[in-house]
Amino acid sequence: MHLSYSPMFEPKYGSTAEEYEDAFCPQDSSEGASINRFAIADGATETSYSGLWARLLVKAYCDGEMDSADRIPETLESIQKRWKYQLTDRQLPWFAEHKLQLGAFAAFLGLTISPDATKDSVGTWDAIASGDSCLVQIRAETVTASFPLNESAAFNTHPVLLSTDPEALVLAMESLKTMSGDWQSGDRFFLMTDALAAWFFREHEQARRPWEVLRDLEYDETKPFSAWVTGLRNNSEIRNDDVTLYRIEID
Amino acid sequence: MPYSAEINRSNPSCFLFLIDQSGSMSDSFPGEIVKKKSVGVSDAINNLLQNLVIRCAKEEGVRDYFHVGVIGYGTSVGPAFSGALAGKEMVPISEIANSPARIDERTKKVDDGAGGLLEQKVRFPIWFDPIANGGTPMVQALNLAKTTVGSFIAQHPNSFPPVVIHITDGESTDGEPSSAFKELTSLTSADGNVLLFNVHISSNPNATTTAFPDSPAQLPDQYAKTLFEGASFLTPFMRSIASEHGLTVGDGAKGFVLNADLVLVIQALDIGTRPSNLR
Repeated sequence: MHLSYSPMFEPKYGSTAEEYEDAFCPQDSSEGASINRFAIADGATETSYSGLWARLLVKAYCDGEMDSADRIPETLESIQKRWKYQLTDRQLPWFAEHKLQLGAFAAFLGLTISPDATKDSVGTWDAIASGDSCLVQIRAETVTASFPLNESAAFNTHPVLLSTDPEALVLAMESLKTMSGDWQSGDRFFLMTDALAAWFFREHEQARRPWEVLRDLEYDETKPFSAWVTGLRNNSEIRNDDVTLYRIEID
Repeated sequence: MPYSAEINRSNPSCFLFLIDQSGSMSDSFPGEIVKKKSVGVSDAINNLLQNLVIRCAKEEGVRDYFHVGVIGYGTSVGPAFSGALAGKEMVPISEIANSPARIDERTKKVDDGAGGLLEQKVRFPIWFDPIANGGTPMVQALNLAKTTVGSFIAQHPNSFPPVVIHITDGESTDGEPSSAFKELTSLTSADGNVLLFNVHISSNPNATTTAFPDSPAQLPDQYAKTLFEGASFLTPFMRSIASEHGLTVGDGAKGFVLNADLVLVIQALDIGTRPSNLR
């Protein structure tokens, strides 16, 4: 199994890089077989310290803390404690204190790609998700899997998100979704936060091949991710939001 | 499509509250024995301002998604903030956050986790104090609202249109307000006309409580009809928030409530001010 992977991101228009509240893991583009866990998360704009919550979630996933499905509730409780620990003993104005009590929320998607014990060119994958960050798997110019959503109309509702608030987390746990599948050499995975995922499904519904665009981004110097996202925004083809794409290719 | 502009820091929107502070606002609220209308309204507005600030708060501070103004009318007509903001017509929400007139301590009951209730102290910021004096110069107040909102639109021509929430318990004492309502709601940004809510908290025993009607047919008098006619149609998003509150509203529902009790005032404030498109 040989993987090539690269994350791409663009903060929402009008925000600074420091205000980007999506998160992804691993942090850098690379290739090889030693890394097989990938995660993206999307911190909610209306909550505070949601970028921190998103970063802690993807790191925990990539560190293997969510490998065992049975232990996910304990793992999430432990990540909640890390989030709270980083924010204790801060002197906050009244509004920041109120906001902190409401907790942080984030959509989350994790993907683990596993090799077959005997063959190098096939294997399996497992994904877990809460909210509206999505993955699609492309094989032979066809979408073979999309998870957890699969149509553009599904993005109009308020998704249940993972939260630092214990009560809200119980609800999110109930709506946590998992999916498994297999892969072959030549497959591609795209992990996308909601604005980009909604664009992808809209394009696909109109019989276009959005994966061809995503496949070429950044490889070609004339197709930088940032300028491409800006173009979509200017044409109102994509909602103004933080945008994150994780592209994974299996040779 | 109107009412679809993104609300962000470079393209903020605004809320203007227009509050009747005439002498009759010292009467008690419909259905309440003790609580004066003026006190109920100021509590509702302080609570709403607090919620708006918290909604706009992020770790680095408060993002200026909105500008907010409060105009009072009674003995006089003018800006009605208390404390450091006194005299200011319209201020960014971050200035509201940083300049409450004072922070009161109140108690609220919370679940103790064992089936009982605990009293918890909470900080309750105050920007606006109850006043009830003088007549009801509604036309003059509407004219000031028009100037204030007009100047916001001139500075933010592409904004989500300003929302004006007018809370009154009485009849105008400085003339018939129909044309002032029309002039106010004829102001437009590139995203649509100014949205006006008329919230009527009269205790008239002959009128039944009515929320967001789509026809004036059931309204008891010409005065209620004038407020109904002057109010804007609810946007589709506002209708969906009304449904969340359990209110049944038709496609032609207007931003008008009659004989509002305190709950309905708070619901109307929420329906009028819930942001649909914050970025």
